[in-house]
Amino acid sequence: MAITLHDTLDVKRDIKHYDFGLPFWDGTRQKKLMIQYCKVAKKFQHFPRPVSIFTGRRRDIEWREVSGKGTIFSFTIAHRGPPAFQGKEPYAVASVTLDVGVNLIAGVVNCAAEDLTIGMKVKPYWQPLDNGEHLLFWQPDRDAA
Amino acid sequence: MSLRDSAIVAYAETKVMKKSDRDVWVLAGEILEALLDKTGFDKAEIDGLAMSGLTGTGGASMFWAQSTCDMLGLEVGFCEQVHTGGCSAVGAVARAAAAIDAGMCEVALCLYADTHVREHNGRNDRNYRRDWTDPYGLLGPPGAFGLLQRAYDAKFGVDLHALGKLAVTQRNHALMNELACEELRVPITVEDYLNSRMIADPIRLLDCVMLADGAAGLIVTSRKRAKEKGLKSVIPIGYAERTNFLGGENLVDVTRSGHEIAGTKALKTAGLTVKDVRSFHPYDDFLIALVIQFEAFGFCEPGQGMAFVRDTDLSYKGTLPLNTGGGQISAGQAACSSHNLIEAVRQLMGEAGERQVRDTTNALVTGIGWINYGRNWGTSAALALVPGE
Repeated sequence: MAITLHDTLDVKRDIKHYDFGLPFWDGTRQKKLMIQYCKVAKKFQHFPRPVSIFTGRRRDIEWREVSGKGTIFSFTIAHRGPPAFQGKEPYAVASVTLDVGVNLIAGVVNCAAEDLTIGMKVKPYWQPLDNGEHLLFWQPDRDAA
Repeated sequence: MSLRDSAIVAYAETKVMKKSDRDVWVLAGEILEALLDKTGFDKAEIDGLAMSGLTGTGGASMFWAQSTCDMLGLEVGFCEQVHTGGCSAVGAVARAAAAIDAGMCEVALCLYADTHVREHNGRNDRNYRRDWTDPYGLLGPPGAFGLLQRAYDAKFGVDLHALGKLAVTQRNHALMNELACEELRVPITVEDYLNSRMIADPIRLLDCVMLADGAAGLIVTSRKRAKEKGLKSVIPIGYAERTNFLGGENLVDVTRSGHEIAGTKALKTAGLTVKDVRSFHPYDDFLIALVIQFEAFGFCEPGQGMAFVRDTDLSYKGTLPLNTGGGQISAGQAACSSHNLIEAVRQLMGEAGERQVRDTTNALVTGIGWINYGRNWGTSAALALVPGE
């Protein structure tokens, strides 16, 4: 199946945030990947929640910067996108297991269809948004062992 | 006192339409009329309404069930809008039975009416999607099931011919179901499945349900009342649901679901083992969900779902009849996803015509509701049914 993957970098986005997830988005201004960490369970969690999913308590949560390195857990290639993405197909979206033990879903860039596999090492690609934030995408980490 | 003290005494279903030619409340009214005619209950005797909240036409309304009571002239002591997504159909039966058991009503209408193709009034979902998946164009359920099916493939391997067999088996059932969506009542082959176009690779068009319009309903009352009225009945002998399975954990095995827990509990309550199940009516939004459910309920070991499909005659005359009305995938995703439930009741009442299963000792119906972040689904439900005396 020889297909050429497109990216969706230039799709217009107006992303509304929940206040309890703002540290993630503030971090993206400096291209930092901030993930919630439960001090009691000593585990990370993503997506951001108002409480620790391990203890149910807000006070157990803190935010930590992580490397953003991970491996592809699964991916799908959209051949039909929602309205704003139509015309961009086919494009890939991957669920990536970060080295801190959470899965994070994002689009994939700079990757040929035939190279895209489960287990592939990836790192962040930061796409600027109009409001100064960046949107995280995944790109192959060709330096990874 | 338990759920099994209740009885489903009638079902009704409109034809599934690609797009309804009439209003959702007209369809609801047709269901009410059919159920009154079938049972001989007077409208005033209906004192409970359990309505599925899985509706594009009414779902954005916080007052959908109450508005429907008003439209249909129903005065009830129990008015419920069930919000467990695709589990709402079986969930409505369980909640109606619980309400009857608790003395809140005696005769409940479970109503599944939706015209989400003709009139979709938008949705006001508040969840992870706006921040975490919408920015990437991950297309709702097909996108999520694309991630799920590829993860299943990496762990256990996907046999596309087995998925094709599921598609063909259910399609053959729809061909025998005159209420299935007419546009879907066209024979297909495994080749057709394999060649159908990609939507969210690896999800193909023929992996997916098609939205359609229609309505269905059930009357649930006490077993005692059913007997007094001399009505044919189907008894809900076991029910369980599980929402947010492993929700307090991070990296979970996406090939496992809450059906492990809901299935075990529902069957145990019913006094059945999975080997006793005589026909299986699992929620089908995507074919891979059927395979994962075979495994979760214990029809086969984890990872053996594809082999189980290859080795089992799943037709209405087979060893484990599967979604004998066509399932949603071949009948159309209409009537708040109640199709498989209604079909199971019809089968146990012995009214399925040329697709009637031989063994009506029991039937197992399931639900799948909502899509969570990078996992499989939010709610899993199971309902075991047996014919009444």
